[in-house]
Amino acid sequence: MSDTQTPPIIKAVALRKDYGEFHAVKGIDFEVMPGEIFGMLGPNGAGKTTTMRMLSSISPITSGRLFVDGLDVEKEPRKVRDRIGVVAQHDGLDPDLNVRQNLITYARYFSITGKAAQDRAREMLEFFGLDHRSGSGIHALSGGMKRRLTLARAFMTRPKVVILDEPSTGLDPQSRNRVWEQLNRIRDAGATILMSTHYMEEAAQLCDRLVIMDNGEILSRGTPDDLVMEHAGSLTAVIRPNNGNGLAVRSALESMGKVVRDRGASMVVHGPEQLRGELGQIDNATVRFRISTLEDVFLNLTGRELRDE
Amino acid sequence: MTSLATKTGIDFRPSNVYGVWLRHWLAFKGGWLIDSTAIVIEPLFILLAVGFGIGRFVEGIQGDLSYQEFVAPGIIAANAMWPALFNCSWGAYQRMENHKIYETMISAPVNLSELAAGEIIWGATRAAMTTAAVLIVAMILGLLSSPLAILILPLGFLVGLVFGGMGLVYASIAPTQHSMMLIFTLIGTPIFFFSGAFFPIDSLHSGLQPVAWAMPLTGAVHVARGLSTGELGLSHLYGLLYMIGLASVFYPLAFILLRRKLIT
Ligand SMILES: Nc1ncnc2c1ncn2[C@@H]1O[C@H](COP(=O)(O)OP(=O)(O)OP(=O)(O)O)[C@@H](O)[C@H]1O
Ligand SMILES: [Mg+2]
Repeated sequence: MSDTQTPPIIKAVALRKDYGEFHAVKGIDFEVMPGEIFGMLGPNGAGKTTTMRMLSSISPITSGRLFVDGLDVEKEPRKVRDRIGVVAQHDGLDPDLNVRQNLITYARYFSITGKAAQDRAREMLEFFGLDHRSGSGIHALSGGMKRRLTLARAFMTRPKVVILDEPSTGLDPQSRNRVWEQLNRIRDAGATILMSTHYMEEAAQLCDRLVIMDNGEILSRGTPDDLVMEHAGSLTAVIRPNNGNGLAVRSALESMGKVVRDRGASMVVHGPEQLRGELGQIDNATVRFRISTLEDVFLNLTGRELRDE
Repeated sequence: MTSLATKTGIDFRPSNVYGVWLRHWLAFKGGWLIDSTAIVIEPLFILLAVGFGIGRFVEGIQGDLSYQEFVAPGIIAANAMWPALFNCSWGAYQRMENHKIYETMISAPVNLSELAAGEIIWGATRAAMTTAAVLIVAMILGLLSSPLAILILPLGFLVGLVFGGMGLVYASIAPTQHSMMLIFTLIGTPIFFFSGAFFPIDSLHSGLQPVAWAMPLTGAVHVARGLSTGELGLSHLYGLLYMIGLASVFYPLAFILLRRKLIT
């Protein structure tokens, strides 16, 4: 890296995590630049949470190095935690405190107290649409409200870096859109966001760059558009053979030199725009064209469906 | 792999201990009526039932003490055990395992040494609350002859530190929520009844006496009784030192075990 470039705010070098004999994270490298939203996309068990727990220094690193804002996570874990906000996969809300108290109590651990804490709590509750619930008990909140409260809590302290483990899981489409908008605004205000997600749509809409992980490894990385171009071309043809013609259709496609991938009852072929003309008249099949998505990238890379939950 | 600062405990922020304590205070204020009913009514029942119920059938027990005078300081000191034990074992386990609040705290810049201190000191605060309530009643009833008896209040706090630490140690090694009950039935109850609060240790079989003295409550009951009569000797100092020693062993043990459990 040349001197003129800004240094990354998160940097993982050959980062590895073993649980006994099991390798949860297998020596991954990545860099997150200040001010970007960086995504980690991967199926259950990919190692997303494990990586994030190492970042927040509540999980010891087996080997490799990890830096946040220039600090070595292993050497200065507390200073790292001073600088980050965390939304864990589980909410970790305090059921014995009301909504506002959850925020104020958390802020105190960052030495934000008194009026400063009260004002910030009001601001965050408003920002995340919870201002009318500030006196509610946690048990009275819906799942989506709890999720938004954990976001409000993470942003209470104006962290430089925010680590969000599946922030929008459990949100209805409206809330999810709203959270995306809010995360965008927070990013525009200068925060760096590292987030994991199962939603391709979310990754595509929100992330400046992302990595696709599976089984503790990074399979690919880049901007959402680059990843789509690289692994799925711009266009995807979804081909549904008529009854009993699957093999014939497949060999017809293959004789045209196409790579055919199975998707349940259908097959897909990726390619550039010209695909429309080339596959226009395949016999014994219905062909539909659509824009390629991250989902295609994901399926091509991992060879399986992205499982939610 | 924690840093040197964390390992040696040099990197200790008292403000976080206060933060954890304050969390408990806020939670307590939210439901104080229910909580204080439990911590005040129960010991009063025991005091009245045992002191004036059973007590009527018991002759003077040690020297010229009536049974009521004998049992009152013991009950006050022994009762301090329960709220601390409950907060730091059952309560701590809930917060840690079911609500993941400990993870929230240690993902914020709170270290487990501070978290454990806050938990234990809150347990001791609750112990002091119940001690104060029953102490006042016992004084009004004239069961405590010496003005020194007021010192049973800080003693109750110390009992809270000991059993808060013990509870937290247990919460960090208990395998399941169900097994949390064992600390009350297998540890709490025998300690409560064999601590000398209800009958003198000398009346036990001589082989059992050292066991009774080694129990973490016996020293406190002994000191409480000394404070209530005003007759203090070296044995009371030993009792006090033993309690302080236990508190200072349980506390570091608790946060070391918590670290083993939570930092994985
Ligand atoms: N404390 C642990 N002990 C042993 N294995 C663990 C532990 N924590 C996680 N693992 C294993 O490590 C692997 C990665 O888990 P991790 O939670 O990081 O996945 P994830 O990508 O966050 O998945 P999800 O999308 O389901 O949240 C899994 O196989 C999991 O079983
Ligand atoms: Mg996860």
